[in-house]
Amino acid sequence: MLRVSIDERANWKRKAEEFGFKFHTMHGEAYWDESAYYQFSLEQIEQDLEQPTEDIHQMCLAVVDKVVKSEELLEKFQIPQHFWQQIADSWKQQDPSLYSRLDFAYHGQGPVKLYENNADTPTSLYESGFWQWLWLEEQVNAGKIAKQADQFNSLQEKLVQRLGAIGKHYNINQMHFACCQDTDEDRGTVQYLQDCAKESGLSDDFVFIEDIGLAECGSFSDLQNNKIQTLFKLYPWEFMQREEFGQSIERAQVNWLEPIWKSILSNKALMPMLWKLFPNHPNLLPAYFEDELAKATETKLVKKPIFSREGANISVIENGKTVLHADGPYGQEGFIYQAYYPLPKFGNNHTLIGSWLVNDQAAGISVREDSSAITQDMSRYLPHIIL
Amino acid sequence: MQSNKTKRSQSINLASMRKSFSVKPLALGVTAILLSACGDKQEATVFTSVDECTNANPEFAEKCKTAYEDAVQEAERTGPKYNSQRDCESEFGNNQCRVVQQGSSSFFMPFMAGYMLSNLMSPRGYYSQPMFTSYSRYSPYRNRWIGADGYDFGDQRRRNMRVSEKALKPKPTVSKTMSRGGFGSSVRAKSNWGSSSKKGGWGG
Repeated sequence: MLRVSIDERANWKRKAEEFGFKFHTMHGEAYWDESAYYQFSLEQIEQDLEQPTEDIHQMCLAVVDKVVKSEELLEKFQIPQHFWQQIADSWKQQDPSLYSRLDFAYHGQGPVKLYENNADTPTSLYESGFWQWLWLEEQVNAGKIAKQADQFNSLQEKLVQRLGAIGKHYNINQMHFACCQDTDEDRGTVQYLQDCAKESGLSDDFVFIEDIGLAECGSFSDLQNNKIQTLFKLYPWEFMQREEFGQSIERAQVNWLEPIWKSILSNKALMPMLWKLFPNHPNLLPAYFEDELAKATETKLVKKPIFSREGANISVIENGKTVLHADGPYGQEGFIYQAYYPLPKFGNNHTLIGSWLVNDQAAGISVREDSSAITQDMSRYLPHIIL
Repeated sequence: MQSNKTKRSQSINLASMRKSFSVKPLALGVTAILLSACGDKQEATVFTSVDECTNANPEFAEKCKTAYEDAVQEAERTGPKYNSQRDCESEFGNNQCRVVQQGSSSFFMPFMAGYMLSNLMSPRGYYSQPMFTSYSRYSPYRNRWIGADGYDFGDQRRRNMRVSEKALKPKPTVSKTMSRGGFGSSVRAKSNWGSSSKKGGWGG
């Protein structure tokens, strides 16, 4: 695993415009950064990243299977009681899932360590599945990167395939897609999935989360009053379950993507549960619920809210003292504690690997850098190659 | 142990990933009709009355009439519905809406402005669907032919067009939408919080 400097493509910003990649620069700061790339060996990819990704996914599913059957655990996961039955039903029916992203700390050797599972609303999908793919294609054609270079990135191919399979599963030829207003990044991510859906033969309609309507018959509707039958929502289940229309979810009979059973995975309570079910697994960090903190022997711990996004409200605690803290709006549902395990540093950059799953198959990686040890929403995205 | 296959997508259709046409979404429907000459498009004509259809196709007078009746029914089933006359009129213009009773509830719908007919002469049967238009200065639908689902078929002065078969399929019904905005409140609450959500996305 190396960080290699390279010239940017001279025309990449114009290209970005042409392909509708609008969020490469956010708030005046670069998000997409092609002044360097990360280089992995095939062995690093296949043994250290690909295989553990699929193994961890299976371990996560074992957690879901345990939690849906236990009221005590559902409470620990802060899932409102109203949804317990729906989640259990969705799990029992094996409602199909589309994708997830596991966040890893990886030092180029030894086992990756799982930080968390973004199983419900992962972003950086477009830049991973398409934009870094195009970057490699063009840098190879320009002779800047060796011809035999490859990339761990079959995301787009697998997404198209999976969306087609989900269409067959539900016997549908159309899907609705939704995200919140006023965010180029989320809209871009959802547009990408619409493109993949189109490629798979489905027709696609878009509605903003805030514009979703509730019809007399109990269905959810889009702005044209069309019934929402299948909905990909880039909007967290834990929000939806606590909002006004949450009570109408069951009656609306929507085919949800992600399915509601994923509420259990996109939840930091997953981490202590994994540690309980698979203690001392090489890819896991010791993790504890708040009420079992006495068991922790580590002197340095990371405190994470049960629900949070992009590093918000995370603190690093050393011998009981907070030594690093990221602010944010989360935390009222409680916290979990995870053994501190640093990200590798390349120069001044802390580097985080996102490892993608489409359903249960490992589908590629994304690399993000942050100047802080806590990867936040202003981290930069760098492409990678296999050589 | 190591596989010989490449680890990345074999090929990606770059043309289908280009987005530069979507800069002006209003023109999208029209552009799509003009640019695409693919096999799934077919000729369609908009008529504003049964007489207009019959004059153009005297030998199909009966079909003109039943197609019109189909479209009227379809308009009531699938057309845009509003809780208030004001909402409806702000989209379609003053005096362009009527009250409709369905079951125990009533709501407001724009008048059907015409009907689109395709395959009138085909032995396999014709397609018809209701067309709406707007006289409101504030609406993007002003002087456009609009399908029940809000699809923009182009300038109201144009009567003949080529449309995809999909555009002629019946739209799914939803009864009157009672309320909107029941999702998204957590975002408003957490966005107000400030600096750490400066990027504003809700994925992770």
